[in-house]
Amino acid sequence: MSKNNSTTSTLSDREFVMERTFDAPRELVWQAYTKAEHLIHWWGPKGWTLPVCKVDFRPGGVWHYCMRGPAGEESWGKAIYREIVEPERIVYLDIFADEVGNPIEGAPEMLITMTFEEQGGKTKLTSHTLFPSAADLEAVLKMGMEEGFTQTLDRLEEHLAKMTV
Amino acid sequence: MKAIFEALADPTRRHILELLRERPHLVGELTELLGMSQPGVSKHLRVLREVGLVHVRKDAQRRWYELRLEPLVEVDTWLEAYRRLWDERFDRLDNYLQKLQTKEKKNVQK
Repeated sequence: MSKNNSTTSTLSDREFVMERTFDAPRELVWQAYTKAEHLIHWWGPKGWTLPVCKVDFRPGGVWHYCMRGPAGEESWGKAIYREIVEPERIVYLDIFADEVGNPIEGAPEMLITMTFEEQGGKTKLTSHTLFPSAADLEAVLKMGMEEGFTQTLDRLEEHLAKMTV
Repeated sequence: MKAIFEALADPTRRHILELLRERPHLVGELTELLGMSQPGVSKHLRVLREVGLVHVRKDAQRRWYELRLEPLVEVDTWLEAYRRLWDERFDRLDNYLQKLQTKEKKNVQK
């Protein structure tokens, strides 16, 4: 990966943002993100194919796809386009779905905003994820990481030892 | 995942977790510290227990409420996977765009 196309990510509250600059004109990046004939060549994890990819690109329209892994495993996804501002912005609801498009229960539904910015012949693409509930993601991470998982467990153990005595 | 997010969405529940992070507490202690009624505290504790963030340890007649961090680790792992997913997506898109443009150039040269 060259310096130009490294990805940066930030996280705060309910939002997760990732950016990368692509060495391609905005029009091309837009096409690649919105047309089934392009999406089948790159969408999905590395080594996976996209045997099904139906795109109804209009506000309220649905993008339904199937990703197939190297071992033949399948994973379906569905997006509902909320807002389309060609060639700058797409807002869609990202849903884990099954093959008929029914959402999978308990899986988080995410609102994704993709922004396409022209930068001297290159294109900065930003993906912005808004998580569904009012959960404070930052608080989650603070508790899980900053404090240190083991450290807290150690303290808990210490305390328990004290209590039994 | 969704349930954990929802459980953490409430400021009182986050406050309870903060208190439990210091040490296990009894319901009575939490009631006092939070300035809430016992049924109110119990309701929040039930939600936290359901998602596995809080565990009860019985000690004779007393019930100690303890913090369990495993669900938070799960959230963290999930977020890390989500970040990787976008990174990989962008990698593939980058490769594809390069391929498309190389093709275009070749066509122009012809």
